[in-house]
Amino acid sequence: MSGAVTEDRRGPLAAFRIVAIANGVAAAYAARMLGAMGAKVLLIEPVGGSPLRREPPFLPSEHGAKASEQSALFAYLAAGMDSEVIDLSSAPGPETLALRLAGADIFIDDTPVPERAAFGTDEAAVAALFPGLVHVSVLSFGAYGPKADWKGEDVVIQHAGGEGNLLPNGLAVEMFPDRAPLKIGGHFGAMQGGIAAALGALAALWARPDAGGQAVDVSSQDAMLAVGAFAIQRLGDGSIEHRVERSFRYGGVIPCADGYLELLTLEQRQWDGLVELLGRPEWALDPALGGNIERSRRGPEINRHIREWALVRRVDDIVSAGQKLGVPLARYKTPAEILGGGQEAHRGLFQRVEVEGPGSLGVLVSPFHFEGRALALRAGPPVLAHCSAPLAVGS
Amino acid sequence: MAKPLAGIRIADFTVHNAGPFCTHLLSQLGAEVIKIESAMRPDAFRKPHPVYGREGPATFDQVASNKLSVRINLKKPEGVALAKRIVAASDVATESFRPGVMDRLGLGYDALRAVREDIVMLSVSSSGQGGPDSHFAGYAPLFGAWGGLGELTGYADGPPVEIRHVMDHTVGMNAAVALMAALHRRRETGQGGQVDVAAREVAASLVGDMLLLAAAGGAPARMGNAHARMAPHGVYAAKGEDRWLALEVDGDREWCALAALMGVAELATDPRFANENARRLHREQLDALVTQWSCGLEADESAALLQQAGIGAHASWTTPEIAADAHLRSRGAIVEVAEPDGKLRAAVGVPMRLSKGAEIGIDKGTPALGEHEDYVYGELLGLGREERRSLEEAQVIH
Repeated sequence: MSGAVTEDRRGPLAAFRIVAIANGVAAAYAARMLGAMGAKVLLIEPVGGSPLRREPPFLPSEHGAKASEQSALFAYLAAGMDSEVIDLSSAPGPETLALRLAGADIFIDDTPVPERAAFGTDEAAVAALFPGLVHVSVLSFGAYGPKADWKGEDVVIQHAGGEGNLLPNGLAVEMFPDRAPLKIGGHFGAMQGGIAAALGALAALWARPDAGGQAVDVSSQDAMLAVGAFAIQRLGDGSIEHRVERSFRYGGVIPCADGYLELLTLEQRQWDGLVELLGRPEWALDPALGGNIERSRRGPEINRHIREWALVRRVDDIVSAGQKLGVPLARYKTPAEILGGGQEAHRGLFQRVEVEGPGSLGVLVSPFHFEGRALALRAGPPVLAHCSAPLAVGS
Repeated sequence: MAKPLAGIRIADFTVHNAGPFCTHLLSQLGAEVIKIESAMRPDAFRKPHPVYGREGPATFDQVASNKLSVRINLKKPEGVALAKRIVAASDVATESFRPGVMDRLGLGYDALRAVREDIVMLSVSSSGQGGPDSHFAGYAPLFGAWGGLGELTGYADGPPVEIRHVMDHTVGMNAAVALMAALHRRRETGQGGQVDVAAREVAASLVGDMLLLAAAGGAPARMGNAHARMAPHGVYAAKGEDRWLALEVDGDREWCALAALMGVAELATDPRFANENARRLHREQLDALVTQWSCGLEADESAALLQQAGIGAHASWTTPEIAADAHLRSRGAIVEVAEPDGKLRAAVGVPMRLSKGAEIGIDKGTPALGEHEDYVYGELLGLGREERRSLEEAQVIH
């Protein structure tokens, strides 16, 4: 891990400046993605700091198990940003914000629409004052439409977007068929809104030479639905997915002696490799199992055999041998295993940054490499109201 | 005024879902995407998929829609040469083979840069272009498993959970962001470049906060539908078979509002639920009380009541409910597309609205294999009819 940010690792967006009002995950994640690729990000925080600073869990302190006041979520999302506290509810807050926007290329905002006019950040006001600015609104249900005033964070977004109703699948739904549907861990749905907002921002910025600045309206619900597009596609094919029937007929989550692995064989050669991996047992050599349709029909029977075989073996042994045979297999890695992973180290996935309270920590930088090199964050999360350099005009 | 990415041309070698979803998004934003496939290696949706119960080709392929299709047999040197001519006329080349395959085909970055110096090349792979695991084969559930997202998804007392195609498409949307960043740099500096997106790292990036917690000595774990701060929070039974309500109560004000809605205002002053910490500690009792209320109401009805009271909630919607929703349709998140026989069906639009330019989204459905060769080979590359016929006879265009 390296904390140094050299010129050639600043990232492809080093020429751009972003101002973000990001009290929720989606807007903050959009700014984080763009910042990791080199854009300079100024996070505008209310008096007392962003609500994200108060989201648990909090990171353990440097010298013991006692929790610091540093939110893991905020520290991850705000890494590399500058911070400025502006009270937008009274003068001179809106005027100060306007000064910052005058020097920005992109403005990301998750303020609820009804509150924007008072801040001077409604779409019309921003367009009039800053004709070259790309103004990205990121809200759970968007800024337009019958539900534009609805609210909701991750669990709501995932269920409003469809994927929530379709999980869990595979082993978990076999074990707990009567339980409530399950959301994807973390902030998956809200982050989809952030990713879509980052894409919208860069697309609008691309059009700026011809179109000038413009408004981009992103809804996390829309983004969640977009990544779940195949359920809609299957509906058009005449099939309604349900979490109980949605599982792959064989493979999936397989319990082993020391953890879980994922197995998925979609192609014939992968099935052939699996049979080799299993040691060519008699049941697998049944000629009837030579075809995908029959294997799908007899999936539960196949899985019983695979699970029995795997339960007394170690995950890494199976994955290593299977991948050599071209069988798609992966360990369900714990966070600690990812932090210590050889692949992740080789790729420079984590960078040591200073986090007030816990001290120096490795934080995930970005899943992107440019020219074969990992990106680098400018710094860790900002101390409240800490700005490394004024964004542009005014201070 | 045109769509925002009008003028960008992409030579698209991607296969399966993650890479194609990236170029599908960019095509909806106005990029011209030339999908390169062949009769020997057609797109997966042109083939049967018995695991999904599909015995023939799909009539609509979301991630191929809006693209142009040409046939090239990349096993032949003439096919590689033809592909390079498309790249030479493009701004971007995208691929999602295992690392090394494009080099072996003679279509690696150096080879493409030789025909188009400022080309931006995007590679999407399971583990990235380098490193000890870079050769690993993988699909969406494996990306989630490697990246920790699968491990951190699940009931607290259950196994990890397989993350399906939403994982693929998240990788694709990430890749679109990275690709746009590289294009901006090219506009700024004149230099193209290589973009390498590792799907497992995309999965890890979605739980970056939990990885940071682990780095600091914490022990993140699966927590079902629970939240680290909010309670009530989760998915509650609603009236009817397999009907559910997603609900999150953020702070004391919302808790008091919920208690009033439930008709048990005294809960608001119950010391067990007096603040967030107390509610978290008594989460199971709280969940039972909420369920008593929620199971007597239709999920959409209770969600509307909750939203009116300023509380985040939504019915856990099935796919038909989503496809019919007025809000999503008003935003262009659900659109109608025409099948080859003219029949309309619901599809998913591009997840954003822009205030300027032409309407973004899907303009046309899935292309037939080789449907746009007159344009690409004729107009764009200037191949004559005789040359094309000769290439077809040699099974280069095939």
